[in-house]
Amino acid sequence: MRKIRSERAVSILLGITGIGLFLALWETIGQFRLLGLSWPPITDVLAFLQDPSRWPLFSRALGATLEALVLGYIIGLFAGVLTAMAAYLLPPFKPGLDRTSAFIHAVPSIALAPLLIIFLGRNSTPSALAALSTFFVLYVATSSGLASTERQWDDLLRVLGASRLVRFRRLNFPAALPTIASGMRLAAPASLIGVIVGEWFGAPRGIGVLIINAMQNFQIPLLWSAVLLTVLVSLMLFGALGFFHTLMAERFR
Amino acid sequence: MKKMRGRLSTVHPVPSVGPQAPTAISVSEVTKKFRLDDGRELTALEGMSLELTTGSFVALLGPSGCGKSTILRLVASLEVPSKGVVAINGQPPAELAASHRLGVAFQDHALLPWLDVRANVELPFRVAGQAVDRRRVQDLIDLVGLAGFESARPKQLSGGMRQRVAIARALVLQPEVLLLDEPFGALDAVTRRQMNIELQRIWSERRITTLLVTHAVDEALFLADRVIVMSGRPGRVVRTLDVPFARPRQPDVMRSSEFHRLSDELTDALDSPSGSLG
Repeated sequence: MRKIRSERAVSILLGITGIGLFLALWETIGQFRLLGLSWPPITDVLAFLQDPSRWPLFSRALGATLEALVLGYIIGLFAGVLTAMAAYLLPPFKPGLDRTSAFIHAVPSIALAPLLIIFLGRNSTPSALAALSTFFVLYVATSSGLASTERQWDDLLRVLGASRLVRFRRLNFPAALPTIASGMRLAAPASLIGVIVGEWFGAPRGIGVLIINAMQNFQIPLLWSAVLLTVLVSLMLFGALGFFHTLMAERFR
Repeated sequence: MKKMRGRLSTVHPVPSVGPQAPTAISVSEVTKKFRLDDGRELTALEGMSLELTTGSFVALLGPSGCGKSTILRLVASLEVPSKGVVAINGQPPAELAASHRLGVAFQDHALLPWLDVRANVELPFRVAGQAVDRRRVQDLIDLVGLAGFESARPKQLSGGMRQRVAIARALVLQPEVLLLDEPFGALDAVTRRQMNIELQRIWSERRITTLLVTHAVDEALFLADRVIVMSGRPGRVVRTLDVPFARPRQPDVMRSSEFHRLSDELTDALDSPSGSLG
């Protein structure tokens, strides 16, 4: 126990050291303009983010991005899980559904975005791209979670006279929940990429819009601030869903 | 009912446990072949026959890979014979499984980790779509000595306690047939002995027709009315022994010279598969 704790402390310490070095390097490059004007010191970026007069801008953009993200993520989540459940319960359709979702995944979202803009409109494209990325990850996670039920549990429920649906409800689905939660964690950053890409193609507002505008107008601190915000959102989502995954693994394994 | 005898049980005539007891499980002339991944065929059982009378406890004793688990899986409806017939009370095993009249415990306890002890014991009721008989669930938890652990999760329990839960779960629907596939095989010797003593006590109270698969001689001898020694491949019967000890059996039976003598006999039969065939 103590050994595990000290190993953990070492790994946290190393992590902090790594991040510290990274930030110091960033600051040095920025202060001395080692990579030119487009690389500001991190202190400038933080000062920019801290200025209250810019908060309405950031919170509007962040709000729009998060709204699109949550909507797309939830749609993709349910679509992915339900499709994988259907594929599991209706084996004849599984190969077809597997191939379809792999095909959807193979199309680069950057190529799909213009089509979606025309088809769905500027407002819905970020959510749609987020939903597509989330769908695929959750389809794969749910499929593999359902397929990996341990044999002795399946044997037991068969001998007890459980129908396929009962086995699904009592066994396969609960056993798949940790894997589904792991998929949910992996899907979050992918989903955020979908939203940002969707916003680049002309959404009315959002972090992606901020990034594109700042880039085109050479507003370097604004650009870096927007990117930093994106990273923070992504990390927070990943962390929160990682915690959720730990809870599920604890409960269902 | 037609009395069916395999070629090997003709060599060793099998006296029935109670002369009038009807046949509960009959395996007649069963051959089971498995197709291996590389396309070859493996014959796990060939022309296998055995019968269990109602209310008897029969142990299949044999080394691993002798096909004893295959027999249990056939009776459990988890496998279908390539040739021959398996029947429980004259019906195909799948019918008994579908009407929730089989009880089973495996070497791996197969408890669902997300359910606590009580919910695991209640599972057969839920699977059967029946109302949970809380009283019966509690009685069984008490019977296997787990009172006070109703809300514990399987991972909080010791190996022996998990197997107790599995036994309670196997009995909860009052099955017509109880199938035990090395239920204590993963336990240490001390716990295993204790579990055998407990199972003997529980079984003596209910006397459900039971098929036990095991590779432990003393376990078979202490628990069963009849021990069938098998050898592999393909699996066949090399020795059948009717256990003379009266029930309920006390643990000190295991210290008697008769127990040791029979134990040696069975061990010999295990060691020299063809020996007792003469």
